[in-house]
Amino acid sequence: MRYLAGRTVYMLVILAISSVAVFYAIRLSGGDATAARLPASATEADRETLREVLGLNDPIYQQYFTYMGRLLSGDLGNSLTNNALISKMVIEHGRNSIILGAAAFLLVFVVGMPLGMLASVRRNTFTDQGIMSLSVAGMAVPNFWLALLSIWLFASVLGWLPSAGCCEPRQLILPAIVLAAEGTALTVRMTRSAMLENLDSDWVRTLRAGGLSETRVIGKHVFRNALIPIISLAGLRIGQIVGYALIVEVIFGWPGLGQVLVNAVLRRDYPVAQFFSLVLVVMVVLGNWLADLGYLAANPRLRKT
Amino acid sequence: MAAPLLSVRELTTVIRTEGIEFEVVRGVSFDMYPNEILGLVGESGCGKTMTALSVMGLIPSPAARIAGGDVLFGDRDLVSLPEREMREVRGDDISMIFQDPLTSLDPMFSIGHLLTEVIRRHRSVSRSEAEAMALQALAEVELPDPETRMSQYPHQLSGGMRQRVMIAMALMLDPDILIADEPTTALDVTVQAQILDRLLGQQRRRGMSMLLITHDLGVVAAVADRVAVMYSGEIVEQAPVTQLFSDPQHPYTQGLLRAVPQTRHQRGALHTIPGRVPPPQFVPPGCPFSPRCSQALVRCWEEHPELVPENGRHLRCFNPQPLTPA
Repeated sequence: MRYLAGRTVYMLVILAISSVAVFYAIRLSGGDATAARLPASATEADRETLREVLGLNDPIYQQYFTYMGRLLSGDLGNSLTNNALISKMVIEHGRNSIILGAAAFLLVFVVGMPLGMLASVRRNTFTDQGIMSLSVAGMAVPNFWLALLSIWLFASVLGWLPSAGCCEPRQLILPAIVLAAEGTALTVRMTRSAMLENLDSDWVRTLRAGGLSETRVIGKHVFRNALIPIISLAGLRIGQIVGYALIVEVIFGWPGLGQVLVNAVLRRDYPVAQFFSLVLVVMVVLGNWLADLGYLAANPRLRKT
Repeated sequence: MAAPLLSVRELTTVIRTEGIEFEVVRGVSFDMYPNEILGLVGESGCGKTMTALSVMGLIPSPAARIAGGDVLFGDRDLVSLPEREMREVRGDDISMIFQDPLTSLDPMFSIGHLLTEVIRRHRSVSRSEAEAMALQALAEVELPDPETRMSQYPHQLSGGMRQRVMIAMALMLDPDILIADEPTTALDVTVQAQILDRLLGQQRRRGMSMLLITHDLGVVAAVADRVAVMYSGEIVEQAPVTQLFSDPQHPYTQGLLRAVPQTRHQRGALHTIPGRVPPPQFVPPGCPFSPRCSQALVRCWEEHPELVPENGRHLRCFNPQPLTPA
């Protein structure tokens, strides 16, 4: 319980610090925030009035607290480019992002863990080497390139899948696979080494001496032990997927948070960029916090006696 | 004497390293009888544990394999028994206790879970019946507060308590044969006697046959009925315990006995046997003990002695001499 409370406090501190960092970073990025709102013909007086209205002349710490106060009361503000409610954008695009992210996250474990287990059981055979070579490839190939390659192969050459768009299941397949590739490769390696490490334990011999079958010993006991490092890194996979989603969503025209964020930055739409950056930060930090919870749940040695 | 319960005949186990196979257990033979403790002693690396694991069919595969010999148990040869049938034997008819209780229990599951899983593997009983059996087994090895222990995890128990759990696990299905591989070596000295006591009490009560592997000659002298001394993968001398301790014949056995500290008689440095056990890849062609032996003949360097039975003793030596006080 103390561990849990500690991790939660830690998460909140990280969140507070990163909200400040995001807020300052957006302001450091330069450019005139009024340029997006006012026509080019606007006078300096007009711009000054707008700055005053938007509170841009206040000291930056005061701007931060005003902004956070509004956020916490549920007022996310509007987009500078089309005046759309940011709260509505988050819901609409967030849903798409969650679909894509969840699909990729599932793939990472549903594909990665069995492959890793297979490689460990067939240690040093052709199967093991094949799986490990694939996983090296999965880690080495940058995902923007993998995205282009898969579009070329499966959409242009073979014509099996659409190259882009949203939000049919068929359109989800390619971006989800590309987004999951690196995490899957890492999960394969992690599962394999965690399984191997535990396969050599003394307690494996005890279970065998008790007459348990290899399926039981490996599938239940060794796997259960191997889950600890896998689960503790699952949260990092969330962060990784959130980060890569920026690129993958843009390439596959998947209208998620990442795509909105990229567009907002390109158009200097500060309120949107600021808020969506914050959302990504929250997701990464939350992912790490969930990993801590999972680690706690998976490891009886950390539970209170 | 009655028919042996378990008869190991010319057992040979090899380990493969970098494509070359070395014999780590070489033609080992011994019998185990009901209600009897056979002590298996020798230095580290002499093949005691590999012998036990070979009997259990638990040698690390594919690095090691049994290259020859039989392990006769009833009308079955355990060496050629299919793995599926061997699993029925393990934990039920023959069970084993390992050296290090701290690492020998799966840390992810409660004591109760581990015990009942093995019980239900061998007996078709309900969960609650299995729990009752496990609880009784824990009570029999005098683990304090067994009900609470059932729901605890291995890390919550001390080394001594964990070894009691291991003993309970090995005994709960009433095996005919128990192999105890250095069961007290990893424990505090104060706990060692308690654990040994529990083990002996259970062995006598059940009339079980026990193979006690140890390098502690004091333990062997106190509890074993017969003793086999191993050196370099071979049994070099085997005799009833009183005979072996009062009249050791093999120079290696004599060396071992002399190396036991005698607080009453001796002063000065402890006796040691010069040199060390040859690694399996460098076993000399003649008697493996000849390079360390003070009474070796030329023949000992050239010819490999056989294990010869004589007056209820088995001895593998060309030139036995009576033990002279050091």
